[in-house]
Amino acid sequence: MTTCNLFKLLKEELKNGSSDLVTRPSGQIIRERIERDIEKEKNGEIIALDFSKIGIIDYSCADEIVAKLMSRLLGNEYGDKYIYLTGINENQKENIEVALERKDLAVLAEMRDGKKILLGNLNNYLRETLELVLKKDKITAKDLSEIKKLEANTSGTRLLNLHKKRLVKRMDEIRDGGRVWIYESIS
Amino acid sequence: MTHLSDDTFESFLTLISNQTQLDLRDISFIDPYGMVGILEIGRFFYSKGNNKSLIVPYSEDVLKYLERMDFFKYAEKYFKLEPDAPKFINQYSRKSFSDVLLEITSIEKSDDIHFIVGKVKKRAHAILEKHLHYNERAINGFIVALSEACQNIIEHSENTGFVGIQKYHFQNINKNVVKIAVMDLGIGFKKSLEGLHTIKDDIEALEKALLHGASRYADRGRGHGLAAVRRFVNEWNGKLSIRSGTAKFSILPDWGYGKEREKNLTFFPGAQINIMLPEV
Repeated sequence: MTTCNLFKLLKEELKNGSSDLVTRPSGQIIRERIERDIEKEKNGEIIALDFSKIGIIDYSCADEIVAKLMSRLLGNEYGDKYIYLTGINENQKENIEVALERKDLAVLAEMRDGKKILLGNLNNYLRETLELVLKKDKITAKDLSEIKKLEANTSGTRLLNLHKKRLVKRMDEIRDGGRVWIYESIS
Repeated sequence: MTHLSDDTFESFLTLISNQTQLDLRDISFIDPYGMVGILEIGRFFYSKGNNKSLIVPYSEDVLKYLERMDFFKYAEKYFKLEPDAPKFINQYSRKSFSDVLLEITSIEKSDDIHFIVGKVKKRAHAILEKHLHYNERAINGFIVALSEACQNIIEHSENTGFVGIQKYHFQNINKNVVKIAVMDLGIGFKKSLEGLHTIKDDIEALEKALLHGASRYADRGRGHGLAAVRRFVNEWNGKLSIRSGTAKFSILPDWGYGKEREKNLTFFPGAQINIMLPEV
């Protein structure tokens, strides 16, 4: 996991002494810097955006940074990479959540107290499946079918959809002479 | 006229439109909306090459208040002050006052909003926590709403503007209140939205922006800044009014007064936002 210290980026890019992520133009500058940094990372990398030293994030900046990054990540603009938020406080969570909900997006985040949460929109089936992946760390469609008593196709589709939303990693392994997809937590 | 606030601004605009001078001699009360409004009137005429005269109030209390809100810093540029500003400027100590949350501040670029947010954060606990009994979540919401209201100028007005914030004891409800005024001299809501939406008049533009998240930008995720302001004001039982062109739309709380929709007002360019938040 590569950590992207947003406070450091803010200092370097805006040079105005602020610790707050406010305004759309500022958000655009920070997002473009993150995008340049993401491009340098290899496929499969998880990029953690660290909010721990950030004060306020307003709705416009949350949309410009988090929602646009997630939207473009899902549009395959950055390759096979993942975004995770860390060091979030309750106030930041509120504005990031609204920005993601407006675009029907979701992202995994770790609060400042260490609690892992999902921000944004995700249907109940996928949410339930994601919770299981987080709990088990790694899971296959067969495992999910056995635990949740689901058809193999249903399990496979749910896990694949979580992967398409960049909420779980997907890798293949050869087991008993056949290829098996393994879905792994990004947190 | 003795009071100049969001309540009396319409009468004031009608009064001064044909006068060469703005006479504030009898003013005994002025709020941020009145103050920022006068500056925008002055700036409007100044931009037309017409420096109006401004006769300053007799009341020493009002003068002190204007001075500590940095009113004269800008008024000197847009008006011929009578008497001259140097006679009273900078003679009042600000140290003994703790009711100014934000002096009148110019909004021209994104960095100005960072400055405003930084300044309000520093004073928030002394005013919002002490006098409005806001907790940390409410203070955060207040600052986010302020940021979004100010961004309206940068994102939509194609012009610049001012913001000012002050705490009062509001007699009508016997509570402390904080008043925020944000104004610009830009293109206004109707012209801003017309590129993407069919807009009949100013009141429809205000309704579409405030209630339906209409934006001049087509991309998803835009047009929610003012909705964030509205959500915050609703949650904390405040009053929100936005005036643009010849109309004014207000979100009124249970203690509120005035009309929700006002049309056919005296034309004034840009947008004028008024937010009033009571103690909890």
